[in-house]
Amino acid sequence: MRLEIDWTRCDGHGLCAALLPEAIELDEFGYPIIHAQRVPSGLASRRAVASCPALALRLAGK
Amino acid sequence: MTETMTRPAGVWSIGAPRLLAGALGGRRLGVREHLSVHGPPVARTRETFTSWCSAVGLRGRGGAAFPVAAKLAALPQEGAAAVVVNACGGEPGSVKDRALLDLVPHLVLDGAVTLAAAVGAEAVVVVTHDAAAAQSARVAAAERRDRPAVSVDHAPGGFVAGEGRAVLAGLSGGPAVPPGRRRHATEAGLHGRPTFASNAETFAHLGLLARMGPQPFAATGLAHEAGTMLLTVGGAVARPGVVEIPIGTPTDVVLQAAEAATPTALVLGGYHGAWVDPARAHPLAVTAETPVGAGVLIALDSRTCPMGELARVTSWLAAESAGQCGPCVFGLPALADSLAGLWAGRADAWDRAQRRIALLPGRGACAHPDGAARFVATGLHHLAEEIAAHRRGGCGRPVLGQLPLPGGDSR
Repeated sequence: MRLEIDWTRCDGHGLCAALLPEAIELDEFGYPIIHAQRVPSGLASRRAVASCPALALRLAGK
Repeated sequence: MTETMTRPAGVWSIGAPRLLAGALGGRRLGVREHLSVHGPPVARTRETFTSWCSAVGLRGRGGAAFPVAAKLAALPQEGAAAVVVNACGGEPGSVKDRALLDLVPHLVLDGAVTLAAAVGAEAVVVVTHDAAAAQSARVAAAERRDRPAVSVDHAPGGFVAGEGRAVLAGLSGGPAVPPGRRRHATEAGLHGRPTFASNAETFAHLGLLARMGPQPFAATGLAHEAGTMLLTVGGAVARPGVVEIPIGTPTDVVLQAAEAATPTALVLGGYHGAWVDPARAHPLAVTAETPVGAGVLIALDSRTCPMGELARVTSWLAAESAGQCGPCVFGLPALADSLAGLWAGRADAWDRAQRRIALLPGRGACAHPDGAARFVATGLHHLAEEIAAHRRGGCGRPVLGQLPLPGGDSR
């Protein structure tokens, strides 16, 4: 499972980093940096996707 | 400030010209002259085009260097709805696409029209940011006996608006910005329909390949990448302009022919490209270790401050962001700020610059942040001594603008 960001939608709300602190940190401007190898599979990631206020986060692949 | 080269200062070749046959020195080939140089266009099937493009290793010439055979193979079985010729060439150091439409529009149209017939496309669209090039293409389309369904779209635009998917978005009626979801034009291009889109030079080579066949086409160039390529040579050279070279020609040969006295740095591939060492001869190819992007070779010499040149172009790159993606909108101006800091000799600017460069690649809808990061990273790598000099109080040289930028005219 891979987390993808539609950068044209992301507004740097930062909810994803709050929900998945082990996998996502924020850069100096508040935009997410995803550490792909630390993305948990299953519910936690799906919840982060569903919580994104800009609908910018999505899950791709297996 | 160096005058921006909006039209090629010179048009010349190393070895026998193909694309520019009959057009050296800047002569435009009308339909009659074109036919007498090249003969009539030759129709080929989609299968023939695909196998010949694969045999000669033809790659797109807009900068992404995508294999043309793979693009053809990616079209659905029933073919494409449209063929789009991208002559936007938003790279400030590149005028070769404009030169092609200006001088040999029929060769570009031959490639586009024969390929359109091969893939069943009803429409051919030529798109350019340049009014004179658009006019030349319109005149050419109107004077052809094959009466092709060619439309010419002229829309002013900047760097990112010339990117392939941004061009298709603009032609489809939306803003000319790269879409957030990565869908290939071969699936969903012009108006969401399967589209074969490539750079103007790619089509000119297709026009030649359809006539010549793969063996004669491969008589020059490299084994895995045959034929010629167009370069725009600029900066600190006595003979700037558009030059056709056999693929694989080394940089030193081109620089000598362009009468570059003593280059201290080279920019290859434009402002999404890389700074390279002028002391080494780099083979110029579409997919070499140091790729040429949309065919740009710029020389700097010791009269200008290269750190200032790099900082100036980085500010321009920041301003050219399409404004859609946060890491680009905020990251590029921040990087430009770090580079201004390096120029001013600030001690902490180096670490800031490196940190900001690392956070650009892969974090945007298009390759603008990636390309800008590569350009700045290679520049900083190349300019270590210069940066040290600036930390000691400056290099004492002015910024001459040897790296061309669009003037205050259109923006």
